[in-house]
Amino acid sequence: MSTLHVLSHSPFGDNRLSSCLRLLSSRDALLLCGDAVYALQAGTAQRQALELMPEVISLYALDEDVQARHLTPPERLNLIDYPGFVALSCQYDKVNTWL
Amino acid sequence: MKFAIALFSPPHAPSSRRALRFAQAAIAGGHEIVRLFFYQDAVHSASGYVVNAQDELDVPREWREFVQTHQLDGVVCIAAALRRGVLNTEEAERYARTAANLQGPWELSGLGQLHEAVQMADRLICFGGP
Repeated sequence: MSTLHVLSHSPFGDNRLSSCLRLLSSRDALLLCGDAVYALQAGTAQRQALELMPEVISLYALDEDVQARHLTPPERLNLIDYPGFVALSCQYDKVNTWL
Repeated sequence: MKFAIALFSPPHAPSSRRALRFAQAAIAGGHEIVRLFFYQDAVHSASGYVVNAQDELDVPREWREFVQTHQLDGVVCIAAALRRGVLNTEEAERYARTAANLQGPWELSGLGQLHEAVQMADRLICFGGP
């Protein structure tokens, strides 16, 4: 069972991201949207944690949110739009939003 | 693919707009939305009394037009709505309130509708928080 984990809270305000990273299994993926894309900010422990994730775990972010915050994404990040978000929802068995 | 979409956040939250754009992309991609369920603060998006500046994004209006255009099943949690002052004509009369602010295409119903939507859909997608 593969799960797409969706985060939208800033990783500097709570521990959703770190909890989520602990739970990810090899077939899962992580989608950052809204303030959660701040995890991509260069030189932070959060960005380092994302870069150290096993390669089998795909990392996605909503392009509009990354652009709005003028962040430079790491190489492994896949930028997606809304049709891409819908496609990912179909691709994974479950979508778990960290409300 | 059949989607059930649950929204928990108020109209001014970015996640509210994200849910709308996701729903629009799902329909545009040929998918089906079996039900939209507005819960907690999302009930404000179903209020017909929300007024936004003309040059600003009007999430409640966009939802209303989207649901009408695609003839979707838009359900608003009745318990969450009543406590936030979102009432249809029937509830306004029942509780002796002077006006109703929830009109079509929305319907007030219970949490059971969310449960049923999850049974009918292939995927439940939730939007909430910031």
